Amino acid sequence: MSSNGSSWLFVLVTHIKRDFLINLRSLTDLVAIISFMLLIIILFTFGIGPIKESLDIISSAIIWVGLILALIPSLEKTLNKDLENGWFDQLLTSPIPLEIILLSKSISYWLMVIIPLILSTPIFFILLDIDLKQTPWLLTSMTIGGLAISLVGLIGASLVLGAKRGNILLPILIIPLMIPILIFGVGINEAIKMDEEPINNLLLLIAFTLIYLVISPFISALLIRIAIAR
Amino acid sequence: MFNWLANPNRFSKLTGNLQLPLIILSTTMILLGLYYGLFDSPEDYQQGDAVRIMYVHVPSAWLASFLFFSLAISCIFYLVWKHPLADLISNAIAPIGAIFSVLTLVTGSLWGKPMWGTWWVWDARLTSMLILFFFYLGYMLLSNAFERKIDGSKSASVLAIIGLINLPIIKFSVDWWHTLHQPSSILRMDGPSIDKEMLLPLTLMMVGFSLFSIYLIITNVKTMLLEKKCEALILKLNLKEFS
Repeated sequence: MSSNGSSWLFVLVTHIKRDFLINLRSLTDLVAIISFMLLIIILFTFGIGPIKESLDIISSAIIWVGLILALIPSLEKTLNKDLENGWFDQLLTSPIPLEIILLSKSISYWLMVIIPLILSTPIFFILLDIDLKQTPWLLTSMTIGGLAISLVGLIGASLVLGAKRGNILLPILIIPLMIPILIFGVGINEAIKMDEEPINNLLLLIAFTLIYLVISPFISALLIRIAIAR
Repeated sequence: MFNWLANPNRFSKLTGNLQLPLIILSTTMILLGLYYGLFDSPEDYQQGDAVRIMYVHVPSAWLASFLFFSLAISCIFYLVWKHPLADLISNAIAPIGAIFSVLTLVTGSLWGKPMWGTWWVWDARLTSMLILFFFYLGYMLLSNAFERKIDGSKSASVLAIIGLINLPIIKFSVDWWHTLHQPSSILRMDGPSIDKEMLLPLTLMMVGFSLFSIYLIITNVKTMLLEKKCEALILKLNLKEFS
């Protein structure tokens, strides 16, 4: 049993390495995602106006919404290419469970796309003039919530796998699933602003992330088996 | 039992006899309920006449949630036992449920303007109802997003089952969060707290709406069955001409 477990861990690490190399060769995508997020934030500030008081109220919400929206266009690509070049067909013939590979996919998307994006957000904190004491909480909550976003995105990407207008459909399908992440993620910062304990919201955010961590590899493996059978 | 019912011909024959009584019964009940609700029931001591919108709002809210539940159940039947009829039924339910959820939101905001002073508040009950509408929408869009209809059905079924998680949120949102929306007054542990004279038209409307939506679902499924038959016939004719 233990040897089985360690070999699965090996598979997990190998696949994360593979995705890392693929992502390393398409760094332009990451630049595009970061600039997209910057532009979303600029749109918000133009819409609200430069009044500092009103920006202060919603600055952490803007960051969170920007994070979610900026990631959505890149989600579909995570699985589509693998389906097109027959990677999944190969995997199905191997004894490795598809669920492990999908888990590694969402972990590598989290490591390679979401975390670099989060590391670039301090620039946006300066632009929005976010309080310094909020910064570590915002970064932590986004890092945890980012994993949940990646897992929900995995479900979404496998839902629209092979669909005609997958790119347009994807946001409609997954944004409802991202609402709890957003609520508790922003809730942490609201609590900090009010000088309250943010621990309740943080625990709820972790709970949701763990729920998604358990269910999403299974759901998306089911969906991918359906997609391959087409 | 389900296998026996899953035969399309048997389904058509059985439900064909049901259609006429269903439409007669549901129309009478809705008309009676509307009469009692609009003319022959007491005003609310706080809300006045505006309470009467409840007779449309509550049945459509109940149906919007219940129809999504039935949709997801029939999706499970489709995924597990692969009955093609189950897929047709969930496809038939989706637009009806979506319309009921829109009706709920519209009547709710019509009531909300004089009562709460606003068309819309971002409280948990209203928002979760809106999300239910998006699940209906997502289901319909996804099941039609593929080249062949049958490809979308399975993915959309999975989406509907994921959407089930929203239903308890809708039901208990008024208890879990202190929202502007009033808590439930009918399905309560200690019996309904609503006035008896209001309960009569409300029950009539609820049963009438439910029967009417069953009628609509049966009609939808039969239309889809006929459509499939037509397609098969056209294919056959083309094949004959070709050979």
